Amino acid sequence: MLKPKEDSSKKALRYSRFYGGKVTVAPKVPVRSLEDFSIWYTPGVAAVSRLIESDPEMSFEYTGRWNTVAVVTDGSRVLGLGNIGPEGALPVMEGKALIYNYLGGVNAIPLPARVKTEDELISFVKALEPSLGGVNLEDIESPKCFDVLERLRAEMKIPVWHDDQQGTAGVTLAALFNALELTDRRLRGSKIVLFGAGAANIAAERLLVKAGANPRDLIVLDSKGILHPEREDIDKLLLRNRWKHDIALRTNGERVSGGLKEALDGADALVAAAGQGPEMIKPDQISVMNKRAITFFLANPVPEMLPKAAHEAGAEIVATGRSDYPNQVNNSLLFPAIFRGALDVRARTITDRMVIEAAKQLAEFARGKGISKNYILPTMVQWEFYPRVAATVGQAAVREGVARKKLSSKESLSVATRTIEHSRKVMDSLRRNGIILDPPE
Amino acid sequence: MQIRRAKKDEVDAVADLIVRTKRLNNEFDPLFAVVPDVKARAEKHVLASIGAPDKLVLIAAEGTKVVGVLQAERRERTFYEPHEEGFITDFYILPEYRRKALGNDMILQASAELKKMGAQIIVADVPALNEIANHFYTKRGFRSLTNIVGKSP
Repeated sequence: MLKPKEDSSKKALRYSRFYGGKVTVAPKVPVRSLEDFSIWYTPGVAAVSRLIESDPEMSFEYTGRWNTVAVVTDGSRVLGLGNIGPEGALPVMEGKALIYNYLGGVNAIPLPARVKTEDELISFVKALEPSLGGVNLEDIESPKCFDVLERLRAEMKIPVWHDDQQGTAGVTLAALFNALELTDRRLRGSKIVLFGAGAANIAAERLLVKAGANPRDLIVLDSKGILHPEREDIDKLLLRNRWKHDIALRTNGERVSGGLKEALDGADALVAAAGQGPEMIKPDQISVMNKRAITFFLANPVPEMLPKAAHEAGAEIVATGRSDYPNQVNNSLLFPAIFRGALDVRARTITDRMVIEAAKQLAEFARGKGISKNYILPTMVQWEFYPRVAATVGQAAVREGVARKKLSSKESLSVATRTIEHSRKVMDSLRRNGIILDPPE
Repeated sequence: MQIRRAKKDEVDAVADLIVRTKRLNNEFDPLFAVVPDVKARAEKHVLASIGAPDKLVLIAAEGTKVVGVLQAERRERTFYEPHEEGFITDFYILPEYRRKALGNDMILQASAELKKMGAQIIVADVPALNEIANHFYTKRGFRSLTNIVGKSP
């Protein structure tokens, strides 16, 4: 029950072989006759090249750059599979590209790279910049992923996004907004425990603080226990993982030490992104939390604790990363919309404020539908929230001063809706016309 | 925050910080692997240094809590002029008290006290690869004087 359905694994193998890949490069201009190639290619295309040469920013308007995102990985930490290398990562990156396309109308290209060091990965991504409107980093081991993201964000003039950090943290934030609302709490003043100090929770801590949480009310734990300034290995962290080091200094105002139970004593919310369950977290650890506790167990495929056990231990709201339980905290709820919005305004970066605004919009959408303890986030089938979140992101980019193209709110919504609808129509059309075949029985 | 000489009843807390320094050094080179009884040795060393005429054990204290330590000693430079040096052997500040100019204040006070003890120059011993410490000293006018090289035989 807790492992990926045997059926889906078998189907994935069979279908992947059948289709030979999930995405393809398809034309978007008409070829009425071979003479059209003199427009789309030489000699006509030279005029476009000269124009762009004189103003490289025009590459966002005269080519597909504006809507193109590379999904890059070194394959060093793929899903729950670990370091399986770039070839092993390719099916996953293809899947990501498909989601980008279908839910966000983004032209995403899977690009796993054979690179070993941080510098090699950074050079690789930077070299791609002229072809891209943005970069999605994926499945890169921690703490390498932090440095890579930080450096690329500083050195590139297109958005660089690490979904395992910003994406997961953004959806977690949206889920927390509504869970706090349902339990009559505010972000400021709530005691929140982040169990696991990998990509997701390191970014979640930063976003929570920027969204208004008091860092003194946050407690972060890694595999060695609660982070605090006087932990034995604090200097090692300064040298090996400065993100954890800095978190140890700025959070945990009461200087609690010890393990998860000590951290959860009197806590309002738990965000676990720590590792495979289902019994990694025990009922007696949850039972010391405050009444009406909020608990998120985000490990996939097996959450750190099962929802039933968490409820029995006193949790009121439970979320997981899985689609077969209520309240799925799933990156796919945000990343297609965030990039849609960022690309539509030709954003130079995606700021934390843009992510927080996206999370607020996502939460608001769910509230509009009527939140309950089993519905704190929309599901992917309610796809109409994607253009709304995209428009919010685009407007946030304009306000943040990172947009090349200053669309109005109405324009943002209209462009995002049109682009996402177009992508869905393409899929429908390709299926209806038998170009994309139904999978074999 | 008070910067002053350590007292004998503070040996335990001072030794804890000395141990942290030694463990930190180990992050830069396996030849700095600390001995199992490092705490006991640190206590013994600190106890012998407190009050010794040629030794300085300076601490930063917030109330009764020791948050920083600087150990130094006056040494003779047999073949060189200036002839006397104040040699900083250990310097550690708890992480949450860093970036608040405390390190600078401790160095200034240690320099003044070592000068009173006869030191004509101040030197400090830090692992070659400890960029943070090296940067701290060079920013305050120190320059690299020797380079100790090492290997297993």
